[in-house]
Amino acid sequence: MNAPQGKFPDESRDPGRWLDDHGDYLFKYAVFRLRDNTAAEDAVQETFLAALKAYKEFQGRASERTWLVGILKHKIVDHFRRVMREAPLGEESDEGPEHREFFERPEPWQGHWNNNYAPNEWHATPAELIERNDFWKVYNDCLSPLPQRTASAFTLREVDGLKSEEICEILSIKVNNLWVMLHRARLHLRNCLELNWFRREQ
Amino acid sequence: MALKLYDKLKHSIRFWLLRKLPTCQETVEKISQSMERSLSLRERINLKLHLWICAWCQWYMEHLHIIRETARAKADEPPDFMSGAGLSNEARERIRRNLTNQN
Repeated sequence: MNAPQGKFPDESRDPGRWLDDHGDYLFKYAVFRLRDNTAAEDAVQETFLAALKAYKEFQGRASERTWLVGILKHKIVDHFRRVMREAPLGEESDEGPEHREFFERPEPWQGHWNNNYAPNEWHATPAELIERNDFWKVYNDCLSPLPQRTASAFTLREVDGLKSEEICEILSIKVNNLWVMLHRARLHLRNCLELNWFRREQ
Repeated sequence: MALKLYDKLKHSIRFWLLRKLPTCQETVEKISQSMERSLSLRERINLKLHLWICAWCQWYMEHLHIIRETARAKADEPPDFMSGAGLSNEARERIRRNLTNQN
């Protein structure tokens, strides 16, 4: 095979070195979104295999890592698409817990916050949280009880910032389902983070 | 004396609003939707008034934005929350073998 044009010599097409240089990063990137070790390992492997095939097109236009992450993003979305097509949205409970217990039942305060679940002040800024690995452990554990589609919708929206239409297409859902899922994911995650992180930190 | 009356009045207005406006349960759903679409004028007014009288929902909204900002900051810098924070040796070797076979 001929060396690609540009600054990269042919030895950069060395999957062993790719694995050493980018394997851990790509795995962390994938597992943060897929929340499943095996699926993340598969996505990383598929990324390298696709990169081998597509190497001619690369030609050092972007950094190697950016290029690999671009491929990995597609593999992650493919995984979501495949899994969600096989599991059509059925019951309302597939959208996640409603958490009605967070709110008062009897009149006169029906529908208002129950004292035990009402939000409290958080003494932290995003800048502080970003660096705390133990915070991300709690975050991940808090997402775990949610249905897979709801957790995936939340991740695609809040981590990747995808638009509603893109998420609906990937997860085979309607925009109304998406809004319900995002609302329930937020309601659940906010409470779980407050209980397991913010109250313990103080 | 005047101050006391003012406080009483303020309290009554708040109480009255709380009974008239959408509940917290309805409001938190609107807060979430406000992060997805533009709310109608009526929805925005109800939300504003509710937030004016309800510190809990104010915090709720603030927290959703903290979560969003924090999560988005990790888009290109995934967290190390797993033990080892990378590929397991077993997975690494398996991928290496499969890549060598393909190459």
